[in-house]
Amino acid sequence: MAILETQNLTYKYSVGTPFEKVAIEDISISVEKGDFIGIIGHTGSGKSTLVQHLNGLLKPTSGTILLDGNDIHSDKNFTRQARFKVGLCFQYPEYQLFENTVYEDIAFGPKNMKLSKEEIKERVLRAAEFVGVRNDMLQKSPFDLSGGEKRRVAIAGVMAMQPEILILDEPSAGLDPKGRKVISEMIEQYRKNTGSTVIVVSHSMEDVAESADKVLVMNKGKVEYFASVDEVFSNAEHLVEIGLNVPEITKVFLALKKQGYDVRTDIYSVNEAKAELLRLFKERGVLA
Amino acid sequence: MDNTNIVEFHNVTFCYDADEGEQQPEPAIRDFTFNVKKGEFVAVLGHNGSGKSTVAKLSNSILIPNEGKVLVKGMDTADEDLSYEIRKTVGVVFQNPDNQIVASIVEEDVAFGPENLGLPREEIRKRVDDSLKAVGMYEYRHHEPHKLSGGQKQRVAIAGIIAMRPECIFLDEPTAMLDPKGRKEVMDTVIKLNKEYGMSVVFITHFMEEAVLADRVAVIDNSRLLLEGTPKEVFKQEDLLRSVGLDIPQITNLAREMKKSGVKVDDSVLTLNEFVENITALLGDK
Amino acid sequence: MIKDITIGQYFPGTSPIHKLDPRMKIVLTFIYIIFIFLCRNFVAMGAMALLLLATVLMSKISPKLIWKSVKPIFLIVLITSALQLLYNSDGTVLFEWKRLHITTGGVYMAIFTTARIVVLVIASSMLTYTTSPTLLTDAIERLFSPLKVIKINVHSIAMMMTIALRFIPTLIDEVDKIMSAQKSRGADFETGSLIKRGKAMIPIFIPLFINSFRRAYELAFAMDCRCYQGGDGRTRLKVMKLAARDYASLGILVLFCVGIIVSNHYLTAVI
Repeated sequence: MAILETQNLTYKYSVGTPFEKVAIEDISISVEKGDFIGIIGHTGSGKSTLVQHLNGLLKPTSGTILLDGNDIHSDKNFTRQARFKVGLCFQYPEYQLFENTVYEDIAFGPKNMKLSKEEIKERVLRAAEFVGVRNDMLQKSPFDLSGGEKRRVAIAGVMAMQPEILILDEPSAGLDPKGRKVISEMIEQYRKNTGSTVIVVSHSMEDVAESADKVLVMNKGKVEYFASVDEVFSNAEHLVEIGLNVPEITKVFLALKKQGYDVRTDIYSVNEAKAELLRLFKERGVLA
Repeated sequence: MDNTNIVEFHNVTFCYDADEGEQQPEPAIRDFTFNVKKGEFVAVLGHNGSGKSTVAKLSNSILIPNEGKVLVKGMDTADEDLSYEIRKTVGVVFQNPDNQIVASIVEEDVAFGPENLGLPREEIRKRVDDSLKAVGMYEYRHHEPHKLSGGQKQRVAIAGIIAMRPECIFLDEPTAMLDPKGRKEVMDTVIKLNKEYGMSVVFITHFMEEAVLADRVAVIDNSRLLLEGTPKEVFKQEDLLRSVGLDIPQITNLAREMKKSGVKVDDSVLTLNEFVENITALLGDK
Repeated sequence: MIKDITIGQYFPGTSPIHKLDPRMKIVLTFIYIIFIFLCRNFVAMGAMALLLLATVLMSKISPKLIWKSVKPIFLIVLITSALQLLYNSDGTVLFEWKRLHITTGGVYMAIFTTARIVVLVIASSMLTYTTSPTLLTDAIERLFSPLKVIKINVHSIAMMMTIALRFIPTLIDEVDKIMSAQKSRGADFETGSLIKRGKAMIPIFIPLFINSFRRAYELAFAMDCRCYQGGDGRTRLKVMKLAARDYASLGILVLFCVGIIVSNHYLTAVI
């Protein structure tokens, strides 16, 4: 059974005013336990609106969200529990830090869950370990940390709730290549150790291609594709058409194909690219 | 491009003030020597916290070096009386477009700089219109900035700077907070300013793909200038770049891998077009 | 949600009222309010109300919006009218029950004060409804610039207002976002005692303040980069020029004001 499912989800802003606008329309997806899903789409495609439905933060204009088979909005208490079961980490989460110490900030979620002191401590330490926050940093003020460290502390704040599903909205926005790598390794590590379901929202195929097993492509508030990474990449031309950023590597093959070469275009890693180009060279006898 | 320097950094060291009760922090930039020539497009690469952002603020006397000198067309940024002239010559665009826009209407914001310069009304009007056209935001002149996309806001911020007709602009990670579409908009605008209007551009970034478009790349690591040269020269130093947390463009990486496998491809290529041309030339007829 | 709050809302339009010079609009509103207080009889008040009605109709602002501006003061109107009804004992008695007397004087006063408050509120909302906040600040700066003589820096005040106006939507978005983020970590803003709810605001306000300071700091740099040095030597993109319609509207208002003074002389006062 799907752990999380949406049925014909539609959300409109400012209903009943002249500014009424459809943000997402008729979205039906299901998420299985242990999935690693990447959601991509450009700004305004509805991807952020969608994820805010998944933990019950936004109430759909029509349609339902089922968490473990139950309607997330069936009763108030369940909606609240959904926040803890589906952990949502917003974009630029470091701008939401507020406590005196790193420890207290990570503990905010678990405290709201009304856990025992020991349980809270255990969870904070575990989450801190996942994100590589050293023990001596826990008593520091979060505002004394570097940008990258703040980001990791903020993510730990969501991990500490030990959600069954962890959703991260653009977790590496604004970070340099090294910072981005640290974040994606951290998420991978977390997934391996906890077996949690993970959903990562991004602008760019590049970020999700190498890690996610499934990709949800959003365009103009609707689902364009929801399939394996390879399947989605087999439509690389269409992805470019709807304004998405595909890796430079993929663009090489799109360009070659356009010039009449018979090549695959569902390629997004250096190794695959190399293999495909070598095949082409060998086929033409250019390479001995 | 002629050989006059617009901005010169001479052995500059700068250190932010310590917070109360805290130890003096390490210098943000150390013994930094660097020039920007007229009409040149320079990219400054470095990871977060490398000190690269401090460079922008030192360029127009927002910050004053503790040691060494910054000269803007020969004017010393340490001389407070010159700061007005210096800022007219060197404009700075920052990372977050939201925090640079002063007025609630696009054209009024772009007019802010020229108004401060005390220009006559007709001249302000002309500069506002010209600048908005140069960044492709003229149709939005009556819009409210907070309703624009990130890329559009950043272009308004750039218009606000070029309306002062500076000879050089420093852009401090202007694309870091933008989506790929916004990034492209800003990049295209900056290239246009450099190529069509001959403006000197210093583009501070951590995106390799943006740096390859520059005439020259400077790499900053751990507060020091690590490397300087044409993009091809700089990206040849793969191991050095990786050791300081930077990368080489994906295309260059692929080209190197191909060469290792015995394909006679030029492994110094940096852009998609170069690489594809190279490959098709090697492949011959379809 | 919080986004529904509208401060000094402006409804763009091209009506003659929208096109009036904002400085003139401020002056007109000011004179109008003073003379509302000088009205002492129903004829004068009626005339002023009709003048306002004509302005509303000309501006093409929908009656719904006018109602929206009056709604929040409904309670104040109700209380003042009740007080007038209960405590005014002028005129003939209309209704009597134990120690309660309702007199004609009380009824007149209740109607008159209600009319006064409603007219005042509508008149001031008309100013903000038909003038963009930027123009309004600009007009205030220009109108009050003579205060420089007594060392009041009108430019700085206007600059602060401009920046505040510019950042209101940004900060509203920010509050929304922080609230959603903290809710996602289980923060509860809706239940519990007043003190508990107050405490629940800490996770919103601390990041909001910190982010605002950061924004202010960055904005100051950006303004420095654009050669901002205060109001001295600054020129403006937009100049304000009085047109025929501005003088005409001033003329009409003056006529009404003279009428009020005359009527006060000849008609019996309600107040």
